[in-house]
Amino acid sequence: MARAWPVPGLRPRARFRAAAGLVIVTRWREMMSYRGGTLAGEDIEELHNMRVSSRRLRAAMDAFEAAFPRAEYRGYLRQVKEITDTLGDARDLDVAMERLDALLPQMAGDERAGLRGLIARYRAQRAREDPHIAALFERLEAEDFGPRLEAFVAEHTGVVATELNPQPT
Amino acid sequence: MAKPRHVRGLDPDRRLRFNGRRILVTRLDEVYAYDGDVADPARVRELHDMRIACKRLRYLLEIFDVAFEADLLPYIDEVRALQDVLGDIHDCDVQVPMLEEHLAWLGAREGAAARELVAAATADGVAADDEVAYQSFAGSLADTRHDTERPGMHALIARRRRERDRLHAHFVSEWARLKRERFRARLEEALGGP
Repeated sequence: MARAWPVPGLRPRARFRAAAGLVIVTRWREMMSYRGGTLAGEDIEELHNMRVSSRRLRAAMDAFEAAFPRAEYRGYLRQVKEITDTLGDARDLDVAMERLDALLPQMAGDERAGLRGLIARYRAQRAREDPHIAALFERLEAEDFGPRLEAFVAEHTGVVATELNPQPT
Repeated sequence: MAKPRHVRGLDPDRRLRFNGRRILVTRLDEVYAYDGDVADPARVRELHDMRIACKRLRYLLEIFDVAFEADLLPYIDEVRALQDVLGDIHDCDVQVPMLEEHLAWLGAREGAAARELVAAATADGVAADDEVAYQSFAGSLADTRHDTERPGMHALIARRRRERDRLHAHFVSEWARLKRERFRARLEEALGGP
């Protein structure tokens, strides 16, 4: 699992409002850094890292809700939740297949056919998840979600994403 | 899933520590709200809700850690360990019904294949030699069976149930230890006064 990106400029005596902007922008950019790898689908760790980042982002948005106007903020939060859930469906299947694969050598000979059958069923289900993920990110792009979120955060916290420019460790 | 409680008295223009403490104390209280239920292994929903409450608390401790002088890492580790064991219990609670559903799915596929065979045999009409026709039908029917897949599913279900019992016993003992070691009071102390 990839480490969380450090939050630039976050100090112990920060104001809650400014901290909200710093953390949310950093977690948003961190999550989106895994977009290309997730869509390529060559390494399941990319999707895992993106999902973990999306959960960090969601936790940060829950924590800092008080810094934003509630109704509009809830709309952004719902969208982030949808990202986590969509990635979660695929990740759950990746984990289930990995665990079943690891269990195979521990099972008796006559028990393995069942596990193999289940793995094959999960593999077929997993293949159907990729188009959902691609469609979600296409929609986010078409709706300009990222720039709108960053502008919303800047308006209410004063933190400008392009100036903050968070990076991995 | 229980929704997080609204936290009163937050002021976004005050320091992170002032607001973080209020939020953390409320989320800590939510974890302890399940104290009376979770010793009972049948309380599946409460165990799941406590896992979510632990997850919220852990993430918030990580987010607000920077604002506190005390080292919150040992508390984060304790909450993460509790969250992990509750997560493993939840995995078992989710997986057993999924495996049972898979068994039912195998049965449904067999049923559908058998119905197709009967329909095909009926459409073909009665063969001249009854015994040959029967053997052919029985052979085709046997090919649609998933008998070889069932032992593995039953073994996996039994394994997950045993694992669930072991995990729950471990969780109960860890939760008792945290209470004995005054985890809540120590964390509240680490967060300091309002």
